[in-house]
Amino acid sequence: MAAIAHLDVDAFYASVELQRRPQLRGLPVIVSGSGPRAVVTTASYEARRFGIGSAMPTARARRLCPEAVLVAPDFAAYREASQAVMALVRRAVQRVEVVGLDEAYLDLEGLVAPRAAMRRLVGDVRAATGLDCSIGIGPNRLVAKVASDAEKPRGFVVLTREQACARFAEHAPGLVPGIGPKTVARLQRLGITTLRALAATPVDTLVAAFGARHGPELQRRASFRGSAELTLVRTAVSESRETTFDADIADAARLEAILSDLAGQLCERLARQDRRGRNVAIKVRLDDFTTVTRARTIAAATNDPAVVGEVALGLLREYAPARPVRLLGVRVAAFEAGAAQPDDDQLALPL
Amino acid sequence: MQALSGVQLSAHAGGAELRATDMEIGLRVPLEAEVDREGTVVLPARLLLDVARSLPGAQATFELRPAEQDVEVVSGSATFHIRTLRSEDFPPLPEPGGENVVEVPATAFVETINRVARSASRDETRPILTGILVSASGDELRMVATDSYRLSVKETRLEAPLEGGFEANVPARALQELARISQAAEADTLTVSVRSNQIVFEVGGDVLSSRLIEGQFPNYRQLLPDAFEHELTLTSGELTEVVRRMSLMAQKNAPLRLHFAEGELTVSAQTPDVGEARETMPLAFSGESFEIGFNPEFLRDGLESGDGGDLVLKLISPLRPGLIESADGSGFLYLIMPIRLNV
Repeated sequence: MAAIAHLDVDAFYASVELQRRPQLRGLPVIVSGSGPRAVVTTASYEARRFGIGSAMPTARARRLCPEAVLVAPDFAAYREASQAVMALVRRAVQRVEVVGLDEAYLDLEGLVAPRAAMRRLVGDVRAATGLDCSIGIGPNRLVAKVASDAEKPRGFVVLTREQACARFAEHAPGLVPGIGPKTVARLQRLGITTLRALAATPVDTLVAAFGARHGPELQRRASFRGSAELTLVRTAVSESRETTFDADIADAARLEAILSDLAGQLCERLARQDRRGRNVAIKVRLDDFTTVTRARTIAAATNDPAVVGEVALGLLREYAPARPVRLLGVRVAAFEAGAAQPDDDQLALPL
Repeated sequence: MQALSGVQLSAHAGGAELRATDMEIGLRVPLEAEVDREGTVVLPARLLLDVARSLPGAQATFELRPAEQDVEVVSGSATFHIRTLRSEDFPPLPEPGGENVVEVPATAFVETINRVARSASRDETRPILTGILVSASGDELRMVATDSYRLSVKETRLEAPLEGGFEANVPARALQELARISQAAEADTLTVSVRSNQIVFEVGGDVLSSRLIEGQFPNYRQLLPDAFEHELTLTSGELTEVVRRMSLMAQKNAPLRLHFAEGELTVSAQTPDVGEARETMPLAFSGESFEIGFNPEFLRDGLESGDGGDLVLKLISPLRPGLIESADGSGFLYLIMPIRLNV
């Protein structure tokens, strides 16, 4: 039987900061930029107790916990820590799919004692980097992922598919990766609020509501059936964020604020995946459904929200929508190839 | 700003002039014309270019028809009516002249541009680095450009000292355009008018104006290392050829590897799933062997900007900047940052 482990470093950015500044241990720490529209990148577990979570506007996080220590993100340090962790991972198993700076799937097939090997890996990571991580082990990626998240921090959860179904039966469908908030809301309108209910819903009902492709897929996910294949080389060519407004927006300042936010969200994801792109594009759909995209290629690949945001805003200003806007999006493409990120390795003059 | 996609055609007693601008750079080109009636009109640039190229006759007449809001173009047996764009939106373009006007030899100016322009950044998010720092005074003309991965400096000794001088951070785009115009114009002299936020070049009757880039250009001198471990003389074009060949196998941002060992240099490149290449050439290297990685394009740019003469390659260690210099002391410097190699 295939066995997949999912390794997730606990509160990664915040933990790296705590390693560097031990005096912050035990305090609520928020890693975030400082702009008026900054969002929380990670919160330490102490901060999470105040209800603070990733992607929350920093201003709100500060209201929830005024004594929280705000630390500016240092992506170079996170990359370095990530490389140290992933090097240990690669030493433990041969086939690894790294899905973010702090996250990887490991193929355990062929290991004589997979659980012991994973416990040893956790210990090695802790000894080498001071970082804690959680491990989930299951027959496929889906089970492994949900299992690693189930008992964070320092979780170590091994589940068969059946055990996963039983254990998470009463959880909301949104627990499972790939079932997003919009799907959850639609399921709720159908009266489906748990994974058990979703798994038990006749496929025909789901096909009628979600289509021939998505419907059956939902049920497969709810039953924790999924792939055990690892993609050893990721090939996504672009990453984007877009949003459709409840009411069309004509106000340029509001559109710009929304675009900045989207750029920030997008960059946060790219940073987590350690990806940088050279091509920034915006997508604008007007109230008459005219849809335009405008793109610009910049000299150096980036996932810096300030850079992407500025290029995106420039494109929006140049296009200057002549009618109210119903959808706005931002995309980054032309990613640097491979794990040997030239941006990391190309040294620069101290200008 | 529809007018900016247009070209302004102005007819006045002395002749006609074409003007175009993108708000950063403006260009005015005089045309020989017989003017019956003075006037100014803005026409769509791309269309006008296509029409002008296609005209059957050696000459064309342009007539503004205010009632129809178009321009009638007649050449040979062909007639076009091209709708005009709003003339009011077209900004006035700067005139040459003013308090600080310097005449510089055109050929030296253009050659200096061409030696450094490739190092200028195209990253609009760091505007300062998209310019070339131009300094002219006495008998020295100096240009500096950097995108933070490499830095080019060219100091050109002028045959005669300049009257006056200036220092300005000029968008590289404007200077590259100037180089093209200037080479076509075949003029001996370039007139440069410098203002606080603008620069205007005049060459052979063409006038190119550009805004200047604000802010302090990096002090390049403090970036140049005081001393180097290795100084290697490269015979004209020798390494350039090897680098060009090996670069074929350095795709997808793969670095070019230069391995220095006693008496020889091995250049190699490898791209996963594509292939690899390796070539060894004799070189007067002595000392402990080491390997350094460079972006192939950056290294090629540096070697090619050397302009065919012998070069000196100066290195310290794999993670310190390298320097390419013209061996004849002709005032060309190219500082290049290495790529960290994951052995």
